[in-house]
Amino acid sequence: MKHSVNRPPTPDEDDAAEGFEKDELTLREIINVKLVESGEKENLMELVRDRLVECGWKDEMRIACREHVKKKGRKDVTVDELIRVITPKGRASVPDSVKAELLNRIQNFIVSAAL
Amino acid sequence: MSARISFLKNPDPCNHLSGYKLRYGTDGYKSFQSLFSCFNDGRIKIKLREIEIPRCSYCSVYQKRLYICLFCRSISCSSHILLHTQLNKGHDIAIDVERSELYCCACIDQVYDPEFDEIVVSKQLVGLGMSVKSGADVVAVRSNKKRRLDSQLIIGSKFLVSPRDRREKWSFPLGLRGLNNLGSTCFMNAVLQALVHAPPLRNFWLSGQHNRDLCPRRTMGLLCLPCDLDVIFAAMFSGDRTPYSPAHLLHSWWQHSTNLATYEQQDSHEFFISLLDRIHENEGKSKCLYQDHEECQCITHKAFSGLLRSDVTCTTCGSTSTTYDPFIDISLTLDSANGFSPADCRKNRYNGGPSVNATMPTLSGCLDFFTRSEKLGPDQKLNCQSCGEKRESSKQMSIRRLPLLLCLHVKRFEHSLTRKTSRKIDSYLQYPFRLNMSPYLSSSIIGKRFGNRMFAFDGEGEYDSSSSSPPSAEFEIFAVVTHSGMLESGHYVTYLRLKGLWYKCDDSWINEVEEEVVRGCECYMLFYAQEKVIQKAHKELSYQVISMAEAFPFANC
Repeated sequence: MKHSVNRPPTPDEDDAAEGFEKDELTLREIINVKLVESGEKENLMELVRDRLVECGWKDEMRIACREHVKKKGRKDVTVDELIRVITPKGRASVPDSVKAELLNRIQNFIVSAAL
Repeated sequence: MSARISFLKNPDPCNHLSGYKLRYGTDGYKSFQSLFSCFNDGRIKIKLREIEIPRCSYCSVYQKRLYICLFCRSISCSSHILLHTQLNKGHDIAIDVERSELYCCACIDQVYDPEFDEIVVSKQLVGLGMSVKSGADVVAVRSNKKRRLDSQLIIGSKFLVSPRDRREKWSFPLGLRGLNNLGSTCFMNAVLQALVHAPPLRNFWLSGQHNRDLCPRRTMGLLCLPCDLDVIFAAMFSGDRTPYSPAHLLHSWWQHSTNLATYEQQDSHEFFISLLDRIHENEGKSKCLYQDHEECQCITHKAFSGLLRSDVTCTTCGSTSTTYDPFIDISLTLDSANGFSPADCRKNRYNGGPSVNATMPTLSGCLDFFTRSEKLGPDQKLNCQSCGEKRESSKQMSIRRLPLLLCLHVKRFEHSLTRKTSRKIDSYLQYPFRLNMSPYLSSSIIGKRFGNRMFAFDGEGEYDSSSSSPPSAEFEIFAVVTHSGMLESGHYVTYLRLKGLWYKCDDSWINEVEEEVVRGCECYMLFYAQEKVIQKAHKELSYQVISMAEAFPFANC
């Protein structure tokens, strides 16, 4: 695994990368590995997806994408551009309840994995 | 959604994807099949190794959108995928690891290929214990347009998007399908191709306005040609590209016209008229307000019916009698095209009129000839009301009301009763793709005759006088039926114009052709539609074209 010295700029892509100490980043990675290994990551992903659909977040995003495409014109928009533009809106509009539930689940997992 | 069918669309493949497909076909896709991993919610990811977390080979992130290169299987994040393509020439196409979707690194955008989707989905179906057929039959259920909704697969409580829907996303002209020749039946195939792609007719049948399952005549066991056409429309627009055999229609038509029930070559125009007539009979009887064709609301008349005006003038006293007759099509004489016979040319010169250049017969020449003031012979004296006796007269035709669809038939088959011979007139006729019919309207013809006079021509040119849109005389061509060869042993071929592109429909074989080919062909029947009809059709049918080689692998190229 290469660790690139020149980290790519990711202002809107990944808020986790910014402002984190190297130690905490490594911890994050460890947690992630544990989540993946146990299969809990997939469960969490499915949970998040279900919740975001239920609360209408997905539909809101679809509408936001359509509006952007309508504004720019169908031929001028790329998928990358849509991701770049919509991601900040998306992250900002995730309901707190979803965030809370997810944090709770991860906490429980860490506790149970540590035992 | 109502009975209208929604057509999904698909962007063209970019050059890089097309280039990749040409060189590698679907082998690259298939090599990834073992890596596709399916999930309950219908998503498919790429898993290299069971537990491994995919990371960008340039920056090691795993949180971003990752792409795996089709060529070298190296993984790059969205920030570095362009770098990967720059460092490795030709490594243009990659797959989104999370979603199993194609991405073109050179275009920096997502691209689409139904063949890729097929391979991905087949893995999905296999994983769920469904049997998968190869090629285009990914879905076991092939339903007609009416049962379209039922063809979704239901697994547990979740719906899988029917792979048939994915095929709908493929970009090629909808409804384009070859017709098998059942024994000198090209005359029928040619007309069917033109009618299937006539927007008002297509909409009528595809929206279920004559549903063979609900037809009263059929339930009584009677013959019903509109029902046979319902089957044909369903088959043509089913998405199936293998050539279709319109055997039912042929059989039904034979039963109606027993004298023509042979395997001999028939006249395409004759078939066209008789078919429309049968449709009117079956459809119109229930919908006609009056027996008068002018008021008939059957699809034949709604689409093709116009009104001709005939003015007969007594040459002695000048009084004119006017009559109106409906028409379904206009047959044009080719012989004295350009509006003047050789005799007229000479006469014009003597009278100081412009000498006519009779080099190239044109459609406008034929239409001019059709609407000319014709001196009726001495044996055709008509009773003049004001003179009180039979007088010589002249007759002039003009168009009082234009139809939605204008069929112009070029009389190439000449049957001489005196000499008891028939011959075919092969001369080339020049015709436009865009036709303005205003010069042939009654207002223009009669106006020209009498100079600046005020004539009332209410509702002229309009099909529906109650509609608010102004009458339009602008027509655009959508189909050309050509005849090549001799009288007895010829061949009919239809050229269709779909969204600006021309397609040659030669029985089972469909090819895209250049405009010049169509312009240079020997036209026999020209199908024009009012420009608003064409414009509306463009909006309704959204599709784009991919290479014909991919859509018609069996085509005779």
